[in-house]
Amino acid sequence: MSKLQAEPAGRLEPFSPLGVVRRALRSREGLMVLSILVVLAAWEAYGRSHPLFTSYPTEILAAAPRIFLPSLVPALGSTLTGYSVGLLLAIPAAIAIGVAMGRNRLVDLILGPYVNALYVTPRIALIPLLVLWFGLDFRLRVAIVFLSAVFPIIVNTYAGMKEVDQALLDVGRVFTANRSQRLRTIVLPGSLPYIFTGLRLGVARALGGVIVAEMTASISGIGRLLGNYGRFFKVGELFVTIITIGILGLVLTMGLAFIQRRFAPWTAAARAR
Amino acid sequence: MLRIENLGKAFGSKGQFVLEGFDLTVARGEFVTLIGPSGCGKTTALRIAAGLLEANTGQVFVDDKPSMGPSRDKAIVFQHFNLFPWRSALENVAYGLEIQGMGRNQRREIAVDHLRLVGLDTHLGHYPWQMSGGQQQRVGIARALAISPKLLLMDEPFGALDALTRERLQGELQRICLERNLTVLFVTHSIDEAIYLSDRIVVMGVRPGRIIAEFRIDLPKPRADYNFRAREEYGAVRGEIWALLEKQLQRAEAIAS
Repeated sequence: MSKLQAEPAGRLEPFSPLGVVRRALRSREGLMVLSILVVLAAWEAYGRSHPLFTSYPTEILAAAPRIFLPSLVPALGSTLTGYSVGLLLAIPAAIAIGVAMGRNRLVDLILGPYVNALYVTPRIALIPLLVLWFGLDFRLRVAIVFLSAVFPIIVNTYAGMKEVDQALLDVGRVFTANRSQRLRTIVLPGSLPYIFTGLRLGVARALGGVIVAEMTASISGIGRLLGNYGRFFKVGELFVTIITIGILGLVLTMGLAFIQRRFAPWTAAARAR
Repeated sequence: MLRIENLGKAFGSKGQFVLEGFDLTVARGEFVTLIGPSGCGKTTALRIAAGLLEANTGQVFVDDKPSMGPSRDKAIVFQHFNLFPWRSALENVAYGLEIQGMGRNQRREIAVDHLRLVGLDTHLGHYPWQMSGGQQQRVGIARALAISPKLLLMDEPFGALDALTRERLQGELQRICLERNLTVLFVTHSIDEAIYLSDRIVVMGVRPGRIIAEFRIDLPKPRADYNFRAREEYGAVRGEIWALLEKQLQRAEAIAS
């Protein structure tokens, strides 16, 4: 390394594969690209020799346009419709319930046992029951998304309400803020970091929940797609679907992080410290 | 202006009094400091005066009216600033006025005035985490003064700051007190800070927490304008207060061991 750095800058080196590798190793980005290329090449080589159970990059690339419009987009459409409706119902309900439990001892005592029991109940255990109640369509998706997302958000909102800095509540009191003013100006903003933690958990669990429900109940959607491709050994298509779900998860997480930076910048700053 | 009568406070089930028979008056425009070793009840007394703690015995009066809870007449500056991290400097200073129901434009104007008073009108949009400790406490002072309290309570407000920042803020506080003729009840561990700022110093003892001596400080103000520490009176008062506090510290240690 030290010998390479000592070379005069801008001198044209004769092209050699080893030289390219050496130069790539010197920068973070170069190292990342190199790592990806090596893994892809090894995967390609291995995949071509075991075509039944694995796929390989070129096949996945070929499968993507084949299934994108006819299968992937409609499946994503039905999954995401149920997913969004479920979340839109779950998020406000969960925050309201969490706040009510944090504020009121009676509500806490009445709802606490159910919330805590359902929070740890695996959602897969609920699917057969939900199928009986809601059938095999849109309503099942909404139900499973709602039940997956609502409890982590309730539990974290509640924790946030309980963990509000007593010193800041004192500030509210000396400036003669009444109970509802303290809730609005101190308790709720103080709980936001916890609420965001709940949202991150809830959004991820709900995505998992809806896919598992679609797979086990074999209704339409992206989960069913996964199940079918698996049954028919369509490994390339399977990978395209998995990667799509991964990208979806990434987009959701980044979207939440963006909202948090935009509307609760102090929580990001507090984390950085 | 402020009158405290026979204040007593016990914590816990054992009922050890941390404060007993505490009487104090602060005249309008007067700067009074409570000083004493840890556990002498000075912060407890201040918190009761602010209405953050309930007393077991005694009464607090502001302008001869009972004032046991928080009120618009009283504001407090905390040792650890206690700014709202989700509010900018401006929004922090406007907080008390917002709670009182003042309109947005009017409270903004008053908040800007008070940030200017503490030399931070260039930092209106800064959040607490973007400011130094000294700047945060300037915001804390502006927030307390923005509601125009009759009485300013300060609980070791410079205790968490480095020595140089501390000296600067002491000077600023004295300037503001003189400009606005503030009535202040101040708590500190520092004899020098007490002498620099106060018209009167109340020395407190431990077990139970009570007042053991009072000193009137007649050094002319503003004291930042001259080398007040070189004055004969300064050394004499400092020596006397230190002797008292040393005795109380030994007492506290003897009881603890």
